[in-house]
Amino acid sequence: MPILEISHVSRFFGGLAANHDITFSLEEGTITGLIGPNGAGKTTLFNCITGFYPPSRGEIFFHGRRINGLGPDRICELGMARTWQMVRPLAKMSVLDNILVGALLRTGSVKKARELAAEQLAVVRLEGKARLPAGGLPIGERKKLEMARVLATRPKLLLLDEVMGGLNPTESEELIELILAIKQRGVSQMVIEHHMEAIMRVSDRVVVLNSGEKLAEGTPQEVSRDRAVIDAYLGEDDA
Amino acid sequence: MAAVRKYVSLAPRTGIISVLAVFAVIAALGIVPLVVKNTYLLHIMILIFLSVLLGSSWNILGGYTGQYSVGHAAYYGIGAYTTLILLEYHHVAPWYGAWAGMAAAAVVALIIGATCFRLRGPYFVLASIAVTEILRFTALNLKNLTNGAEGILATEIPPLTFHGRVITDFLTKVPFYYTGLALVIAVIAATRLVERSKLGYYFQAIREDQDAARSLGINLTFYKNTALVLSALFTSLGGSLYALYVGFIDPPTVMGLDLSVQIVLICIIGGVGTLFGPVIGAVVLIPLSEGLRSNFIAEELINWGLVRADSQTGMFLKENLGHAHVLIYGILVVLVILFMPDGILGFLKNVAARRRKAGV
Repeated sequence: MPILEISHVSRFFGGLAANHDITFSLEEGTITGLIGPNGAGKTTLFNCITGFYPPSRGEIFFHGRRINGLGPDRICELGMARTWQMVRPLAKMSVLDNILVGALLRTGSVKKARELAAEQLAVVRLEGKARLPAGGLPIGERKKLEMARVLATRPKLLLLDEVMGGLNPTESEELIELILAIKQRGVSQMVIEHHMEAIMRVSDRVVVLNSGEKLAEGTPQEVSRDRAVIDAYLGEDDA
Repeated sequence: MAAVRKYVSLAPRTGIISVLAVFAVIAALGIVPLVVKNTYLLHIMILIFLSVLLGSSWNILGGYTGQYSVGHAAYYGIGAYTTLILLEYHHVAPWYGAWAGMAAAAVVALIIGATCFRLRGPYFVLASIAVTEILRFTALNLKNLTNGAEGILATEIPPLTFHGRVITDFLTKVPFYYTGLALVIAVIAATRLVERSKLGYYFQAIREDQDAARSLGINLTFYKNTALVLSALFTSLGGSLYALYVGFIDPPTVMGLDLSVQIVLICIIGGVGTLFGPVIGAVVLIPLSEGLRSNFIAEELINWGLVRADSQTGMFLKENLGHAHVLIYGILVVLVILFMPDGILGFLKNVAARRRKAGV
């Protein structure tokens, strides 16, 4: 059974269809890349899936359970967590406490949550910054913090919205390794990314959106040879 | 094992010295009425306790959870009215009436929370003001229940007895002093417990970023309402204490907008979202406003020989400084907010942090 099924999902803002009739599914334990030009509706789709905007039409199933209309907090509790394209650190709280807040979803004990948080802190190698306020971190470390924080909620499916945006090559490489390590632990992932090399390396399947509609779907190789995808990215060849 | 020790070192620690300091302050405050017989000083202390209680109550919702309610007079008024209505018209002793007040405040808090927490930021602030104004007008017009604009006068507080022995008869300021002190200790202890628990972390996450909090599985409605109810319970106790201490209440004094603002100011001046911020705020603001009101500044200037009492300036100051207390108070508050945006406690912390950095 797929871990996530998106069935004919549309989302309208006034007359604009930010998502139109999108259907695909994610197999458990895999990484799905979600790509498309700016404005293709990738983040809107994430917001529909995670409950921030209910879809205008269509249905979403997580582990076979219909999750349309559930709030983001309920969906996170069910085991689906997301990161934000524009990172959202809890600025005045310390780096460790940010992760601790995530860990508290699965335990009522602050002490236990702190231990879980310290583990995640080590995974993203931010131990040295544990006590600093999260708002003071540079962008690369904020992105890592955001990863650690959602991982602390123990998700079964992780939705990553451009975690590599604004990072230097070394930091991107670290995040690619982190994404692959998370996959090793059996966590399924859906990744929005503009960094093509990263998408090709980590994804088992790639879904391409364009102008709110699904343009193509397949393995990274299939998609990168797809005529429609090339046209959407490079502009149509008049010759 | 080394790893385990590292987790422990990441936990916030309470130094033995600070624990001892807190106990020393409590002990010293406990002795004050035995030594000090000046009733005006005791009166000021009781007002400070009341302000700390109100500021700390607001701090749970405004400081930790980031929901700036400018309508806390609602819960204060409900506590005050419930206690005095039960006492005067139904002869219920105030130490039971205060519980009834808390229950009523909690119910009203949940009703207000259900409607106002749909709003965020400035819209929430406006809604909180509006709801409290509605309650004030209700209290003004429900003459059968509240005696309307004439207010309620407490005529008979029964003596507090235990197994037939009279513990206190509430005729002096001393029992109010100890009640106030006990409530202050209770609210600070409660805040401390919240601060270090799951609740406290969730409250702060909501303050920092509501959408991020939601995406981490935090049920905003539940936790905001929890913070509001906790806050309302202690605010209601403040209202009960005030009603019994002053012995008279009417809608403008216990449900007015100026009271709501005053409660917020205590926290803003002292330091929002810190355990002892409201204490600092109250210790600074109450003597300041009382001193200005009693024209303390003009008298001291004359006493010190800086201004001659029979000079024109002296006469002008004596005549007008007392009347200008609200103006001066306002200017001082604006100055603190401009130059210490994190409050006095936040300002001191920043200075200390800068010193430490310079030292390294």
